[in-house]
Amino acid sequence: MTEPVSAVAPEVLIDVRDVGKTFANGVVGLKNVSLQVRRGEVVCIIGPSGSGKSTLLRTLNALETITCGEIHVLGQSVHASKADLNRLRTHVGMVFQSFNLFPHKTVLQNLMLAPRVVAGVGEPEARRRAEQLLAKVGLADKAAAHPGQLSGGQQQRVAIARALAMQPDIMLFDEPTSALDPEKVNEVLDVMQVLAREGMTMCVVTHEMGFARAVAHRVVFMEAGEIVYQDAPQRFFDAPDNERLRGFLGQVLK
Amino acid sequence: MQSSSHRWWWYGVYVAVLVAFGATLYMASKRIEYSWRWERIPQYLVSDEGTELKAPYDGFVSVADDGKSLTLKELKGGRHETISGFDDLLVGDGDLVFQNDPVARKRGLVAGPLTLGLWMTLKLSAVALVFAMLLGLVAGLGRVSRNPAAYALATSYVELIRGTPLLVQIFIFYFFFGTVLKLSAFTAGVAALAVFTGAYIAEIMRAGIEAIPRGQMEAARSLGMSVPQAMRHVVLPQAFKKTLPPLAGQFINLIKDSSLVSVMALTDLTKAGREVVASTFSPFEVWFTVAVMYLLLTGTLSVLVRRLEKRLAHD
Repeated sequence: MTEPVSAVAPEVLIDVRDVGKTFANGVVGLKNVSLQVRRGEVVCIIGPSGSGKSTLLRTLNALETITCGEIHVLGQSVHASKADLNRLRTHVGMVFQSFNLFPHKTVLQNLMLAPRVVAGVGEPEARRRAEQLLAKVGLADKAAAHPGQLSGGQQQRVAIARALAMQPDIMLFDEPTSALDPEKVNEVLDVMQVLAREGMTMCVVTHEMGFARAVAHRVVFMEAGEIVYQDAPQRFFDAPDNERLRGFLGQVLK
Repeated sequence: MQSSSHRWWWYGVYVAVLVAFGATLYMASKRIEYSWRWERIPQYLVSDEGTELKAPYDGFVSVADDGKSLTLKELKGGRHETISGFDDLLVGDGDLVFQNDPVARKRGLVAGPLTLGLWMTLKLSAVALVFAMLLGLVAGLGRVSRNPAAYALATSYVELIRGTPLLVQIFIFYFFFGTVLKLSAFTAGVAALAVFTGAYIAEIMRAGIEAIPRGQMEAARSLGMSVPQAMRHVVLPQAFKKTLPPLAGQFINLIKDSSLVSVMALTDLTKAGREVVASTFSPFEVWFTVAVMYLLLTGTLSVLVRRLEKRLAHD
């Protein structure tokens, strides 16, 4: 499980090598994907729907299996048969498009559950941490509310806080603003921007080009299961050296 | 208002149909010249016979002067015992009584055979329910498990039980398992009902678990929870809420199905009904009474469940 990661610098937290994935129904999800993410780096992944962005993200914490290739996260092989996924996942927070908050628990309980159950944190410490995180995402007054009583934007901020409660080294965002009303998008992006500024290592699958341009250190363009192009945001958006990306940007930025 | 007067009209129709139905039953029973003797029923629910005090051993009775206590002197041996606190004396001074002979009676109301039967039915169903829930939960988890052995075992259990009649299962439990494992009638009855109901609860659990969006399990796993942890803290609490209405239906079925254990040496409400019929020759009254008593049990249960559902809905 703790086999050393060879041939990459130690600050590379995510190392994806030649990964391919074919779904059970024969559809190809990922083709020959390689990607490295360094500590503190914010990488945005964009591309048309069905291009494999979410699939790639979900293979990073083994919510999705892979057919070939190798993925190392925090120096551990994710898809080795003896990988301790539960332990690895405590270091990798994930935020979903549909929030996936636990509806039968209050906001505070949502934040406290995993630290209590998985990490064995004591009640007072878990509560202190949860309240601190709620304040950070601007929802200190919603601690006692149930997720169903919150707006989409508030729910997603709670979901981010819930993932942060495990004090992860990496945060994965799977289209975090796609299910939100347009006027709620920014409150979530603002929280993510704060995180990025604090040096959190982030992988963000998104359609928010403005966010990618402003916050990302690197933007990755995927199409048909392949990484077609990646570059720093300024060159990526203003002068991409790739025909297919220019076509895609022409479509979405029109 | 027009709609409200319409509604009253339909309530009238409802009452009329019920009255017509009752009248038909009454006429039908008239035609076979059945004489209704409802007055015989109450004593089988609550009897004022009181409780009899019985002689603990063979001996001679000597009654105190005030008639409020008696002393029993053992026939062969030196034991003396004074019995008091009774209302009616059933023996005279100097009488010889044998062990277990009634010597006196305490007046008061005691449960009649139908009430005792109801109590037995309640006990049987309640104990069976606890085990059925456990079995159903385990089998339900097996049904959604990706482990082939767990899945196959759970599926075989469910199919086997749902594919055979309860009465046959009760016979098998009573005669086969009861004999092999030396089970009491009560234990065999509880086991048969629990195993039967567990199979149906397993399917309810499976449906409940599958109704919880996959994202819930994924979110829990992404936080580092194991599958059992995610089940226990995230999926099952939500599934339980969803399965409450069908579970309540299954509990009510359990109470009704428990009437089938009356084929064993177990005096539940139905068996008690049969015994009372044998001694009163009033089958119609007895069975109507028994039906109402079952209805009381199941009705109370549905009200309780509805209340629980409302309370959970607030969360």
